[in-house]
Amino acid sequence: MKTKQDFPAINERKPDGFRPDGAAYRVLIVDDSVFVAKQLSQILTSEGYDVVATSGDGQAGLDAYKELYPNLDLVTMDITMPKMDGITALEKIIEFDKNARVIMISALGKQDLVKKALVMGARNYIVKPLDRKKVLERVAQVLLK
Amino acid sequence: MRVEYINPFVEAAFNVLKEVLVNSDVRRGELYLKSASTPVLGVAAIVGLAGDVEGRVLFDMNRDTALAVASVMNGEQLATLDDLAKATITELANMITAQAVTKLHDLGFQFDLTPPAIFTGDNMEVSDQDVEALIVPMETPQGKIEINVAIRERA
Ligand SMILES: [Mg+2]
Repeated sequence: MKTKQDFPAINERKPDGFRPDGAAYRVLIVDDSVFVAKQLSQILTSEGYDVVATSGDGQAGLDAYKELYPNLDLVTMDITMPKMDGITALEKIIEFDKNARVIMISALGKQDLVKKALVMGARNYIVKPLDRKKVLERVAQVLLK
Repeated sequence: MRVEYINPFVEAAFNVLKEVLVNSDVRRGELYLKSASTPVLGVAAIVGLAGDVEGRVLFDMNRDTALAVASVMNGEQLATLDDLAKATITELANMITAQAVTKLHDLGFQFDLTPPAIFTGDNMEVSDQDVEALIVPMETPQGKIEINVAIRERA
């Protein structure tokens, strides 16, 4: 009997989580919801990305960015968070590293804030509820640019 | 309270629950009115509204339902109503409210939301001064979730 494994894996796609040099892209997740952070982390990890840190507010996210820099490829940034919101954290991260790649994670109905973030230098945004396909598409778009 | 305020919440709850509970059978029950203080079922996520209209929306369910819903949303069986489970219910409230508010903004109402807070406990009561609450029960395979809306136009 032939099983799937007997066939050569010619159609096997390389997961998007790896850089051309073979190392995993390193991601920082900034979100005050442990649920959203876990969801993002599971989606990204399943595609090979390396989630190197998770921060629960904008200030902690900014601190983590500075600490991890330059060994970091991407940040996912929630908007509504205690202490420092995601727009302010984005601003400070871009101030520190103008090439920072930040994707905003937004609830529906925050178009004005998302626009502001994009003007300030965020590379893209994802609207919740998150699904695997949407997250992976947006992340890959940002990293391939 | 005008009934038109609650419809966007019911529609949004229906859409979001369908999506996060993976196309399960979600049904809308009969709307009813409650005045004065409202006893809650055990787990309640509350979102405040402030602006042209003010008030609050409560997503109310018992602990078993909260745990079952959070388990589906996490793709794993959660054993207790811990921080992760609470954050999951909070996020559910967040998503439903955000979708409803987008509709209300389109209808011309301007207001902001407070971030959702979650309360758990037995024999809890939420008292709304002079505001009657409209309640729409949503039936899901995980149990009943009541959308409890108390909103008034600012005087
Ligand atoms: Mg948040």
